[in-house]
Amino acid sequence: MQFNAELTGDAAPLARTHSGVLARLPATVSAFILVELTKWPLLFPPEQRYQRALLEHLSRIPAEELERSVAGIARVEAEAGASKIGERNPARFQDEAQALLRKRGLLVAWRSEVDGLFQSIDPALEAQLYPADAPRRLIVQIYGREIAVQREKLWSRFKRAGLRVPLTLEGVADTERFLATLFAGAGNRRTTPALLDGAWVVEAHEALHALFDGGDTRPTPSRVDSLTGLSYDRLRSYRDDLTRTLNAKIQSGVESPQAFAAYARSLRIAPAPGALLRADDVLLAFVRDVLLTGNGTMIVNNTFVEWAAAQALRRAQPRVLATRFGVRDKLKPFSSMIMFSQARPTDHVPAVPDPAGSFIDVEQLSYYVWVNAEKNPAYRGKTLYLFLAEGVDEMLAIGPDTAAAPPAAIAPAKLEDVCATMATWLGVPVPDGSGQPIRALVG
Amino acid sequence: MAACMADWWLPRHLFAQRVAAARKPERRAIVVTFGGGVRYEDTLARDGWVNIPHLASDLVPQGIVFPAARHEGLTGHFNSTGALVTGSRQNIDAYGSEAPVTPTIFELFRKERALPPEETWVVATNKSFGLMGGSKLRPFGDPYSANVILPKQLLINTIKSAVSTNAGPGVEDRQALAERMMLALDEGYEGFGWKVFESGRTLSAELKASLAKSLLDYFNDPAAPTSGDELTFFMTKEIMNRFAPSLLLVNFWDIDIAHYGAYSLYLDAIRRTDRLVYELWQHAQSLAAYKDRTTLLVVPEMGRDSDVAGNGFANHRSGDESCRRVWLVALGAGVPKGTGTERPIRTLDVAPTVANILGFRMAECEGKALGELV
Repeated sequence: MQFNAELTGDAAPLARTHSGVLARLPATVSAFILVELTKWPLLFPPEQRYQRALLEHLSRIPAEELERSVAGIARVEAEAGASKIGERNPARFQDEAQALLRKRGLLVAWRSEVDGLFQSIDPALEAQLYPADAPRRLIVQIYGREIAVQREKLWSRFKRAGLRVPLTLEGVADTERFLATLFAGAGNRRTTPALLDGAWVVEAHEALHALFDGGDTRPTPSRVDSLTGLSYDRLRSYRDDLTRTLNAKIQSGVESPQAFAAYARSLRIAPAPGALLRADDVLLAFVRDVLLTGNGTMIVNNTFVEWAAAQALRRAQPRVLATRFGVRDKLKPFSSMIMFSQARPTDHVPAVPDPAGSFIDVEQLSYYVWVNAEKNPAYRGKTLYLFLAEGVDEMLAIGPDTAAAPPAAIAPAKLEDVCATMATWLGVPVPDGSGQPIRALVG
Repeated sequence: MAACMADWWLPRHLFAQRVAAARKPERRAIVVTFGGGVRYEDTLARDGWVNIPHLASDLVPQGIVFPAARHEGLTGHFNSTGALVTGSRQNIDAYGSEAPVTPTIFELFRKERALPPEETWVVATNKSFGLMGGSKLRPFGDPYSANVILPKQLLINTIKSAVSTNAGPGVEDRQALAERMMLALDEGYEGFGWKVFESGRTLSAELKASLAKSLLDYFNDPAAPTSGDELTFFMTKEIMNRFAPSLLLVNFWDIDIAHYGAYSLYLDAIRRTDRLVYELWQHAQSLAAYKDRTTLLVVPEMGRDSDVAGNGFANHRSGDESCRRVWLVALGAGVPKGTGTERPIRTLDVAPTVANILGFRMAECEGKALGELV
C-alpha cells in the first residue's frame, strides 16, 4: 500500500531509499514504520538509529524470505479486510486498522504475528546496535528521606539478587549532604561531576536538581548543560496548564478517545523557563508524552518518576540515570475522582503525605525501572544498579557480575566510596575527595 | 428533605405483590467482579492471601474455588465483563459506546420468565458500563435488559456541578451535595449513563425515591464518600432490600486505581473489595429473600500485566498470561463447601452457569456451565 507520509529531515531520504521494502511489507507494518518516521525530528538519536537499522535490515532480506516472514500478518490483515481501508495517512490508517482488527476479533492474532516478526528481527538489530563491548552504564535509584522505609522489606522485590553493602553515614545526615557526597564525593560541588556527564535525573521533588543548579531555576546555569533533568515538583505549573486545557476540552465535548489523544498531542503548551535543566524540542515533546501517555503521571509524583525513567531508558538510553523517589500525597476523596478537573480554591482539602504507602509504591516502581532496563539490550549485561535510601546505612548493588555475599563479608563503605565506585565503573575521573572504589563491585 | 422523600416513597409490599405475579424463580444469583482486574499473584496466590483475607479465610471454606480460571479475548473492561454476562467473547468498543453483541443473561432470564425490569440489575462503579445490561439484538434488547445504575458517575456529575462555579456551598456541605444528587436524579438519570427501565407508571417515582434516599442516607454518614465502590456497595444493598432481584451483577472497580501507578492504592482497593464482597454476602444472608437460596460467584473481570513479561500491575494491555490468569470463587445455594478444583475454566463459563442456577435456557455461547455448582 502507498501511504502519504509527511516526512522531514533525514526521514524523507531514508523512506525513499527503502521505498521498495516499505511497499512489500504488510500495510499495518509499513504504516507503523512510517508513523515513527514522521516523528523523526522529535526522536532521540537511539530511536533514529533503530529505525534506520530496521529498514536496512528489512531491505537486506531476500524478497521471498521477507514474504514468508510477514505471511502471518498479511493473512490476518486479509481476513480483517484491511485492504478495503482507503485512508492513506499512515497514522489514521493505523487507527482504522486497529478498530477493524478489534471489530473482527483479530487484534490478539495480529499482535501475536507482529510480536513473532519482531522477535525474529530484533536479535540481529540488537547485535548491530548494542555490541557486547559497548560502554558500561549506571543506574542509581534513591528513596527520599521522608519515605517510611521498612528495613525488613527494603528492596524485597529483588529477593536475593545483588549485593547488600553496609554504609557509614557519618556527616551526611541531611538530604543535601547525602546527595552531594554521593555524586561529588567530598570535593568541589560547584561543577557537575564527570560521572554525570550526559546523565538523566528524574525525581519527585527537586533535591537533585537543587544539587546541580543550587535551586536557581533561571534558565542560565551553564554548568548543568550536560544534564537532563525532570522534576515532578518543578513541572507543577506545566502540569496545571495541561490539566486546565484538557479539562476545558473535555467540557466542550470529545469525539472519541483517539480524537482526545490527538488533541493532547497537538498542544503547544511548554514548561516555564527553568523548569527543566535543558529544554530542546525533543525533550519538550518527551515531557508532554510522559505526562499525557503515562498512567497517573499527572497525579502521582512517583509514578511520574518511574514512567519518565522507563521511557528515558527505552527512548533516550542515557548512559547514566539517577532517580529519586519521594512521598506522594494521599488521594483526596473528591478531587481524585475527576482526573482532569481541579477543585476550586474553597474546596481544597489540605494535602496529607502518605510516607507508608509511598514506601510500598516505590518498592514496586524502582523494581520496574530495573526490569525495564534489563529488558533493554542497551543496558542488559552492561549496567551497575545502585539502590540507596537516604538515612539507611545499607545499599543494594546489582551488576552484571555481582554475586550475593553475606553482609559480614563486605566492609562498610562511605558515600565517598560509592562515588568513587560509580566513577570507576564508568571509567571517568574519580572526583576529588572521593573515597576508594568498592572492589566487590568494580573488580 | 424528608417530606420531599415521603412524597415519593411507596410501601415496599407493592413491589412484592407485582413481582410475585411473575414467574420469579426460587433461586437467586449474585455475580461480583473484582473489576479493573487483579493479578493472581496479588490475590489467590499464596503471597496474595494477605490482600484477600475474607475470601481466603471466610468465603472459600464455605464454597468452591477454581484457581485456574482464564479470561479470553480482549483485555479491556467492557469487553471482559461483557464476556462474563454473555458467555461469548466481545470485540466491541472498549469505552462502552456499544452494547454486547450477543444476548446477556439478563435478557435471556427476563424474557423466558416474563420478569419485570427490577428482577435484574447491574450496579457498576465503572462509568462506561451503561450498556452492560443488554444487547441491542432484535429479539432481546431494551424490553428485557437489566437496570443499570452507576452510582459513582452520579457522584462525579454532582461534584462537577457543585464545583463548576465559585457560588454555592461546593463539596464540603454534604447535605447540599445530596440535594444536588436528588435534583440530578429528578432531572434525568440517563444523562450520567444509567438505564432504568420502567415496568409501570409508578415505578419511576418509586425507584427514584429509593435511590435518592439511599444517597441521602449514604451522605449522612460523615465518613462517606471516600470510594466509588463503597457507594456501589451501599446502593447494591438498597436494591437488594427494596427489590430483591433474582439476578444481580455488582462491578466493584476501585482496583482500577492501579492505573495511577501506586501499588499501595491498588492493594488497598483489593482489600476493600475483599471486605465489601464479604459484607455483601453477610447482607444477603441477613435477608429472607436471599438467605439459603442465593449463589454468589466472585471473579476478577481479568488479570493485569505481569512485571516481567508485561507492563506491570498498572496496566492490562499486554495480553500476557498474567492478564488472563484469574480465579473464581462460588458459594451458597447448590455449591459444595470447602472444595476446590484445579480444572481449568474460563470466565466465559459464568453466564451459562448462572443460567443453570436460575433455570433458564442459555443462548448458544462459547462458555460451558460449571457442573460443580448445580
